[in-house]
Amino acid sequence: MSENLTIKRMSATPSAFIPLDALRSNAPVYSKLVDISRCIGCKGCEVACKEWNDLKVEPTANFGSYQSHQDLSSNTWLLMRFNEVEIDGNVQWLIKKDACLHCEEPGCLFACPAPGAIVQYTNGIVDFNQDNCIGCQYCVTGCPFDVPRFDSSTKKVSKCNMCIDRVDAGLEPACVKTCPTNAIAWGTKDDMLALADAKIETLRSRGYEQAAVYNPAGVGGTHMMYVVPYGDRLDDYQLPADPTASPAPMTGLRFLKRVGAYVFGLSIVGTLAHFLAFGQQTVDEER
Amino acid sequence: MTQLLNRFTYLERLVHWLVGVTFVILLLTGAAFSYPSLFWLTALVGGGAAARVLHPWIGVVFGVGIVFMLALWIRDMFLDDQDWRWLGAVRDYAAHRHDEVPPAGKYNAGQKVFFWAQGLLAIVFVATGVFLWMPDRFSSSLLSISRLLHYAAALGGGLLLIVHVYLGTVAYPGTARGMIDGKVTRRWAAMHHPRWDEDQSRL
Repeated sequence: MSENLTIKRMSATPSAFIPLDALRSNAPVYSKLVDISRCIGCKGCEVACKEWNDLKVEPTANFGSYQSHQDLSSNTWLLMRFNEVEIDGNVQWLIKKDACLHCEEPGCLFACPAPGAIVQYTNGIVDFNQDNCIGCQYCVTGCPFDVPRFDSSTKKVSKCNMCIDRVDAGLEPACVKTCPTNAIAWGTKDDMLALADAKIETLRSRGYEQAAVYNPAGVGGTHMMYVVPYGDRLDDYQLPADPTASPAPMTGLRFLKRVGAYVFGLSIVGTLAHFLAFGQQTVDEER
Repeated sequence: MTQLLNRFTYLERLVHWLVGVTFVILLLTGAAFSYPSLFWLTALVGGGAAARVLHPWIGVVFGVGIVFMLALWIRDMFLDDQDWRWLGAVRDYAAHRHDEVPPAGKYNAGQKVFFWAQGLLAIVFVATGVFLWMPDRFSSSLLSISRLLHYAAALGGGLLLIVHVYLGTVAYPGTARGMIDGKVTRRWAAMHHPRWDEDQSRL
């Protein structure tokens, strides 16, 4: 296995919450950077994604938008969402490259009960292993970006895997490779953050005062980041302003499970203690 | 010869074991989903994916069983004055100080409370279970809360099960037979359920 594919977290194992990267820290950490101001809406990335990952074509119909499909699916891991918004009297496309953001703290992985069905590598890629998936869809619930999609025929969940086979071979993901305007950049996370800063500077000098990078802290940052020209309009981009990988009920559940294990064990010890103290209450049938 | 009383009909025993067996399978597969170290328990029903498919369906059978159980026993399960006194003396009951415990009817107050608690938990199981069964129809926040409640109910139900089985088998010999061939001895009835025993004598 190459350095690119060292496991960092694995679902339903201790490493889900205590990442293994402390053991090896020299592997490169990658990120995509999607500069929405450079996107011309050609959907070449959608095609490249389908081709490289050999995903089935899904017939679609005109529904009054330039968008190709209405939603992601288990066969459509990437969808350019053409959000039409009126800004200063002009219609604008606040396009969102809707696909897995590869969270540093992946809510899907935290929620998954099947050991090894979701794996995060030290390079930042979060990948689903369908062999281990049990089809419970807890990952769909756990994802703050509504990305994983369940296939009701295979009973498995799938999503963008960041072209992990390409990355392993030292190549960029297919969507990055094909983008004709270089709207999607690929490199180490540090380089992409620096590139984002430079892009934001340029956008601000061109009058996009609110230009910002989308790398939300609530999920520990992401390995697909966006540069959004209108950073004050995250809602219009359909980007959650404050996503979290550990919503309160799930934190509560983790705590309760830990307490529950002790309580359950103690209850069995308790019946033994009761038995030793009081024994059986027998019925004297001879009397 | 030991005199026997009929305690549970065939239908009552059938429903009891339907609920009992399904509940244990649900508890074990649920534990597998909750604790990675117990994931191997899914092998009992054919692996993780099979457990995911079967757990809800077994839950349906459990739910139907509970409905029958309610219909069969609810009339006998309302607490009377003697039962409240029984609950006050529950420490004497636990310590096997038999003479200090107010006489119980067909079911003692502990059994009645157990019945209502399991009934209530069953509602939580089924309601939250339906959401978790078909997650694509419900919101993430509802599903997260459902996971929490479903687990909390399972913990409560699991603890009740431990007590139920311990009391019915180890602590009070002669009890379990009532759920096997439906019969208990006269002396057992006189000791554990004196008021019921008297009613039976009058028949």
